[in-house]
Amino acid sequence: MIMKAQKRKLPPEDLQVSDRSSPVWESQRQFVFSVSLNKYQRGQELPEPSLRRSVLIANTLRQVSLEACRAPSADREASQPPPPAPEESHFTEFKHHSAAMFSSNHSALVPLNHSSDCTASRPPASCHSNVPVSVKDEDEDWGSMSTDPDFSLSAAISSILTALDSTIDGAPQAAPRTPLRSLENLPGPSEGGMLWAKQGVRGCGGGWEQQEECRMEAMRSSYLSDLTVEDLFQDIDTSLLERDMGVLGLRGGYPAGDDLLRYLPPLTSSSSLSSNPFSLSVNQKCLPSFSSFSPLSPSSSSLPSLSSPPFSPQNHARDGLELDHLMEILVES
Amino acid sequence: VAGGNDFQWCFSQVKGAIDEDVAEADIISTVEFNYSGELLATGDKGGRVVIFQHEQESKNRPHLRGEYNVYSTFQSHEPEFDYLKSLEIEEKINKIRWLPQQNAAHFLLSTNDKTIKLWKISERDKRADGYNLKDEDGRLRDPYRITSLRVPVLMPMDLMVEASPRRIFANAHTYHINSISVNSDHETYLSADDLRINLWHLEITDRSFNCKLLNSVSPDIVDIKPANMEELTEVITAAECHPHQCNVFVYSSSKGTIRLCDMRAAALCDRHSKFFEEPEDPSSRSFFSEIISSISDVKFSHSGRYMMTRDYLSVKVWDLNMENRPVETYQVHEYLRSKLCSLYENDCIFDKFECCWNGSDSAIMTGSYNNFFRMFDRNTRRDITLEASRESSKPRATLKPRKVSTGGKRKKDEISVDSLDFNKKILHTAWHPKDNVIAVAATNNLYIFQDKIN
Repeated sequence: MIMKAQKRKLPPEDLQVSDRSSPVWESQRQFVFSVSLNKYQRGQELPEPSLRRSVLIANTLRQVSLEACRAPSADREASQPPPPAPEESHFTEFKHHSAAMFSSNHSALVPLNHSSDCTASRPPASCHSNVPVSVKDEDEDWGSMSTDPDFSLSAAISSILTALDSTIDGAPQAAPRTPLRSLENLPGPSEGGMLWAKQGVRGCGGGWEQQEECRMEAMRSSYLSDLTVEDLFQDIDTSLLERDMGVLGLRGGYPAGDDLLRYLPPLTSSSSLSSNPFSLSVNQKCLPSFSSFSPLSPSSSSLPSLSSPPFSPQNHARDGLELDHLMEILVES
Repeated sequence: VAGGNDFQWCFSQVKGAIDEDVAEADIISTVEFNYSGELLATGDKGGRVVIFQHEQESKNRPHLRGEYNVYSTFQSHEPEFDYLKSLEIEEKINKIRWLPQQNAAHFLLSTNDKTIKLWKISERDKRADGYNLKDEDGRLRDPYRITSLRVPVLMPMDLMVEASPRRIFANAHTYHINSISVNSDHETYLSADDLRINLWHLEITDRSFNCKLLNSVSPDIVDIKPANMEELTEVITAAECHPHQCNVFVYSSSKGTIRLCDMRAAALCDRHSKFFEEPEDPSSRSFFSEIISSISDVKFSHSGRYMMTRDYLSVKVWDLNMENRPVETYQVHEYLRSKLCSLYENDCIFDKFECCWNGSDSAIMTGSYNNFFRMFDRNTRRDITLEASRESSKPRATLKPRKVSTGGKRKKDEISVDSLDFNKKILHTAWHPKDNVIAVAATNNLYIFQDKIN
């Protein structure tokens, strides 16, 4: 199977693994991630990378990252230590390559696994979703955000929010899935906090300008920093004002080796616009939740953040305030 | 004309060097029969075009259909250097498409990543003899020495086939050209790159050509060529004109979708008339679902009622009247599904296989690895796997069906998946428009197979 003179470094499980709770799936996901990152970077170094190839690799990278952002089962979260990340070295390379800013703290985010019935499916064609990863029964149409002409901003915001929010687990995916729906279920500050950093500048410096037409999106990495909610939103404020923020961002896991990646999916789908694309209810799904919770039942999937038991009222109040602030920024921009 | 398993395929010819070390430039990158099947053109990575012509059947050996012999060879494209971008443009011929024959000369379009050329291939078998102003050597004669006039006479000469570039279509594509397709009106053709489709007008006269860029079609795949290139997640992978309706063409995408556009509907085909996509099967979802859904080739049936798409693992036949799913799906090498991880690692998953119809649309053919190629009979639903190899290259030798073993037990004559040679890939195949003659490109060799005439 291996081409001549190539030595496989990591043994991927070649078998079809759809059960996400199995370690095989996770190891394959990590393998695919590292290979994808490698390919993407090497492709960008070429004078004229094949656009089709770059797009496919970038999409795969995005999907693999989002798959990592699934809601875990609570017990797994508690017991599972973060796996060592082969990606760590890639991040270092990538850092140089994309001039992203990382803040390295070491509270690891537990890699999140999901119940096996949470399979992904591609959204219907008309949705034009960019990430064919469907999750659960989310009622809100995140694709509506894509109709916002300010794609970059929306994507930037959503990427920030995806890192902080919880996923809905356990529901069969009925609704079409858009990239923004991969909302993360993260442990709270008491459990180690998160690393988050501002998104890096766009592109790959001079190379981007030179080969703008042929280059794919710039990839960014940012880590979830060990910040409080206020700090987090302050960062959001600043980064929102950066017009040049790329749409596609790659946010890395932890130097400690977690492979949790947040991917900034481009918001290019032209799904139907909901009446309130930035309505509070929609955004509440993205509310940062620093406490973990158990997989939600489908019936409560519409507002998972609010309805999940572990959420504290204090979180909600604080989140609500920050959300208003965020809304203002979105509207103004 | 029946296809597939109704008869046996046998070896006819193989073109190309036998050496183990294959020069990169000799790798065949496109194969195409002309409309009558009399001519067979190949393009290679070195930018050369070789045209084979079908010789008439020999009276001595009527059981042979006649062979294809070299008719013309010329350098179509040279490597270029884009000084603005500091890039070298590959001379590899991506596609050749013949124009319908209108006079004694043959015309074809050949394209590399950036430039399309219209070539005229004409025969010369006579020469003029007895010029007044120049002598036999071609030197000019002293006019004062000319005492009488004579009429030059046409003398027969050895056949010479000349290829001359009649038109060069350059600087119209920012990205890599993946397809060209001649329209049924024979006056226009389209060219497609990753993000744009251009429509050209050809006006072929004896001497001059008018070729204008008629229309720049930027299809709407979520605003392909988005304002922000970073938002790009889908590209055009192939395009083809409808064989009969000169206003209709289709293009496929890297996300497994096909759009049919009617040029009458809008000046800029930014809205498609039809959108073809098969819903994904959630049970077969993997990290590579999108990559393997990327369509590498799209071909209309000769009837114009169906179209066929090739993705990494399968060939699908679509009825143009049904957009939500294909009418037929054929698995080319399903045993590779469990190997996608490795195939992604070694880049094989990005290989672009082509597919083709037989003349009557009753059978389809596509390539695979290990120099295997597959044929599917649409009527009987039978399929066959054959191999293009030197071992089975004895004259008129019947090709033995091959089988890849997927289970634990490997039967005799079967080959296991892990033993497949992924360097030997058959990406380009062509089927004679009328007869059961097929051309299969295996790296630097061109194999020609035909059915056994009993």
